[in-house]
Amino acid sequence: MTWKEAAGVLAVLVTLAGLPLLLWHWRVGVLNRYPPGTKVITLTAIANGGIWTQEEIVGANYWWRKPVRTEEISLQQGDHVVLRLRSVDVLHTFGIPLLRLGPVDVPAGHTVEVGFTAERAGVLTFLCWQVCSPDHPGLRGRFLVKAGKAVETW
Amino acid sequence: MAIANPIAPPAVSEETLQRPWRFDVFARWPWLKRLVRMRTFQFLAILPNLLLFYLFLIAGLFGTPVGNRNIIIVFVWILWWFVLITVMVPLGSRVWCTMCPLPFFGDWVQRRAVVLVHPGKSPGTENRFFGLHRRWPKQLSNIWLQNLGFLFLATFSALLVTRPIFSAVVFGVLFALATGLALVYRLRTFCNYVCPISGFLSLYAMTSTVELRSVDKNECLKCSSKACIRGSEKGWACPWNVYMGKLDRNNYCGLCFECVKSCPNDNISLFVRPFSTSDVILRGYDEVWKACIMLVLALTYSVMLLGPWGRFKDWANVSEVRNWGGFGLFAAGQALLALVIFPGLYYLSIRLAKWYAKADSIPTKELFLKYAYALVPMGLLAWIAFSVPLLMVNGSYIVSVISDPLGWGMNLFGTAEFPWAPLWPEWVPFIQVPILLAGFYYGFRGMHKVGRQLFSDPAQLYRSLLPPAVLLLAVTLVFLKLFVG
Repeated sequence: MTWKEAAGVLAVLVTLAGLPLLLWHWRVGVLNRYPPGTKVITLTAIANGGIWTQEEIVGANYWWRKPVRTEEISLQQGDHVVLRLRSVDVLHTFGIPLLRLGPVDVPAGHTVEVGFTAERAGVLTFLCWQVCSPDHPGLRGRFLVKAGKAVETW
Repeated sequence: MAIANPIAPPAVSEETLQRPWRFDVFARWPWLKRLVRMRTFQFLAILPNLLLFYLFLIAGLFGTPVGNRNIIIVFVWILWWFVLITVMVPLGSRVWCTMCPLPFFGDWVQRRAVVLVHPGKSPGTENRFFGLHRRWPKQLSNIWLQNLGFLFLATFSALLVTRPIFSAVVFGVLFALATGLALVYRLRTFCNYVCPISGFLSLYAMTSTVELRSVDKNECLKCSSKACIRGSEKGWACPWNVYMGKLDRNNYCGLCFECVKSCPNDNISLFVRPFSTSDVILRGYDEVWKACIMLVLALTYSVMLLGPWGRFKDWANVSEVRNWGGFGLFAAGQALLALVIFPGLYYLSIRLAKWYAKADSIPTKELFLKYAYALVPMGLLAWIAFSVPLLMVNGSYIVSVISDPLGWGMNLFGTAEFPWAPLWPEWVPFIQVPILLAGFYYGFRGMHKVGRQLFSDPAQLYRSLLPPAVLLLAVTLVFLKLFVG
């Protein structure tokens, strides 16, 4: 094997192994770029079925997997939360009325980030404010904020 | 004569040997010849595309299911398709095949090399190949599989060009097929007889402004090694099984330039020639049907993807609308139009041509095959007219997807939120109309050129041209009506 052949084979192997590694590195890096203690929650809206889900919805599972609906998400009082909102089909609009958060547009295929602090214990309802499908009324859930530590400033 | 189509060997006509002007690119720019002679040339051309297609597969499987935010849809069905049909094919023949990554792994397992060449012996070649090296069945040694394969994919085109997972599955299957077939069959069997992209490239490459040919065919006649097709220690046997001494059409030359490396007489060069003037002969019914299928698909794609009729879009969009009855109508209608109705109309025009020109001495089959070239430039330019708005209206998605190729929320170059911005959409019809008219012109001109070889009497010639010309005109008017109302 000449050096050119070896270099060629190496280039192919680096391509095959390197690309997934790069992508994985980026994904890990995303989660690590928030301040320590931040709770990062990914919520994906699916119009068909009116579902907010924390599952990863990608090309491979969008068509045949029925994702688990997220009814409730538990938080601790004082939690700093970053919501990574996604839509996999149409324009959705996210809001938490009690916190006066939103409406935040979540266009199809985009990832939108919003943050809040769970200052008080209680129930925070989140929902979609954009009539996106016949199943639109189902696009709601709750943050259950449990009483806990005192609020810390960000 | 080793070409893909088993119809009678081509007569290398006087017209072919004395072609209209052509410009010897390698003679004018020797550095280009040195470049393609490098053993690493094709590998370096393929590697970036291999990386890209790998990214596309990953994006299709693990990226967002939203088409316009996923690189596999935006880059393949907007950017690559536009560049392929509008630039690469008319100006570069099968130059896409030079850099296509699909057969890469198949070549690797056959050759056990990505760059090197192995001299040796395998049936019909002077190279050492691995794998079973079987001959592809003679009954399938044509482009019928490619015709039907492309028609099958076109039936699901509404899903293919909008859903990342479908595109990923199709390309994954093509990669696997290419590799698997290389283990069993000789050379680039996949490219020659199976690849659906190769099918229409073979047809439309006939119009291209470049050709790879022998400089002096007498040198080929004197050559004993036939290294262009058999290979040598300097180059692999032609993956397309093409003998340069008899090559007079672009259809089945994949521009891999192995023959340029292996020719012992330095007798092969790249030439530039006028558009749609040289390769004007279709040699088999498979090629005629390919021309019919592609022209009909240009029409149905335009209706489905660009037209205002929501019903047809819903019929084609079966994965969401779930109207299987409508989808069945759409699929059957498209297949019927492409395989039966339009070829039937063309056949009718040929029968009329024979009758009107009183051309009883010319077999119907000969006229049917020879005049069918008119459908080639017409079909290519209809596809270009269809593809122009694809880029002009949707091209802005390329800017956003570059920064976030998988729709994961990346922003690599700061353009992830670049808005959808159609580029001068009001100018689209003004671009499409001259393209369609050019298609009619080149189609008629090609038919006229072929007709001159059949009819010495000008009056008889024009009478024979009239019925198919009317059909071409009708097709052009349908496209014009569709695009400009």
